[in-house]
Amino acid sequence: MNTHDQFRELTEAYAMGSLDAGERAALEAHLAAGCTECEKALEEARWLVSQLAYLAPNAEPSDMLKGRLLQTVRAEAAGNSAAVPATGGTAVPWWLWAGVAALLLFSVYSAWSERQLRGTVANLQQQADAQRAERQQLEQQLRAAKLQTQEAMIWMDPKSKKIMLQPKDPNLPQLEAMWHPELGLCVRGWKVPSPGEKRMLQLWLISKKSGKPMPSMTFWPDANGTFSAMVENPPDTMSDTQALAITEEPIGGSPQPTSAPMWVGGVS
Amino acid sequence: MFLAVFSPKGNDAVPPDAALMHRLLRRDVSAFEQLYERHSRIVYSLVLRILRHGSTAEEVVQDVFLQLWRSSARYDLSRPFIPWLLTLARNRALDQLRLKGERQRRREEQTEQLPQIAVAAPEYEKALDEKRRAERVRALIGSLPPPQKKAIELAYFEGLSHSEIAASLQEPLGTVKSWIRNGLIRLKESLQAAS
Repeated sequence: MNTHDQFRELTEAYAMGSLDAGERAALEAHLAAGCTECEKALEEARWLVSQLAYLAPNAEPSDMLKGRLLQTVRAEAAGNSAAVPATGGTAVPWWLWAGVAALLLFSVYSAWSERQLRGTVANLQQQADAQRAERQQLEQQLRAAKLQTQEAMIWMDPKSKKIMLQPKDPNLPQLEAMWHPELGLCVRGWKVPSPGEKRMLQLWLISKKSGKPMPSMTFWPDANGTFSAMVENPPDTMSDTQALAITEEPIGGSPQPTSAPMWVGGVS
Repeated sequence: MFLAVFSPKGNDAVPPDAALMHRLLRRDVSAFEQLYERHSRIVYSLVLRILRHGSTAEEVVQDVFLQLWRSSARYDLSRPFIPWLLTLARNRALDQLRLKGERQRRREEQTEQLPQIAVAAPEYEKALDEKRRAERVRALIGSLPPPQKKAIELAYFEGLSHSEIAASLQEPLGTVKSWIRNGLIRLKESLQAAS
């Protein structure tokens, strides 16, 4: 096998993003040297790797997401069209033609300035778009940072109450939760087995008054069985909650539990 | 029934993706809505599988579709649309998973501009519709030995490198490389055979 064949064999893993740094750099150098055969193989490998998306369990985004997106897109489309000067004819009284002619003459004389102005407007529009996108990115980053800080505070603040969730199956690990009266509720665990296909874990708050479970967040452990999740606004207060429970539910969660609790922990 | 999610909604009169992208270049909101209707479920399914958290997954899906709307001019109309969109969504979701510093750096690079992802459909792509391809992918990967299937899932959905997968599965590095490459070759052969 020659060197070229060895590079060709790396294209699938490169498309997957799983090559280690050394092999990745070597293949990138080979591509940069202009190997069209490997470039074509890589483009087809990207297509093949993208097909693995069909392994993901079926899930449906919320209608709210579509609503938010369309609201943004419509607003931006309206903004763009508003920036385009209106054209087209309507019935114009004859005495206005003199004024129109004067304006036309003026526009010929000021064509150069108009072009300049349009260029400036377009630039400003682009800058506004870029700033809007940047602001949205910053807001997202700020929100992510705030959530991370909030989660850390919940785990560390002495006002938080620690709740151990005991497994019903002795082979499962114990989970721990920390509930802060103002900041929210965090749950985490290690070596938690993956839920069944098209299933995920869901947290429930058992009401002290009604004894009924109230649905809360859904989550999955990662490949190593680790998870850490936070509920910013639990559906009930700590003092009104009797216990926490975790069940396995269909993807997207359930309004009522459809299976027996796998973990339960007393709150108050 | 499960695979219905992978079939674009609507009927045969719905324009193909390339035509919708042409209209998107003219800021046609209804074209954007049709693209969203056709592909939001598979994009969301993929992103949710990677991130395992519903609201974060929706944020990423929102980012992807807004980027599509705002930077449609950078999309190469000669390239296959769905694989390109899925690659973009996977990259965004994996960025979200990675360390904050790394994620910020990548986001800054990607801000507002659609990344250039050169994807080329192989010859046999046209002979197999999306639903049948999805069935084939699930059947083939499902038929692999569990450790090999796990290695491919860790690479694709967790974004792990060969070394990280070898450490996670406690298998030799060479074995992991072979599993992933052979699995993808078998997938390619299966799709070719079905076309």
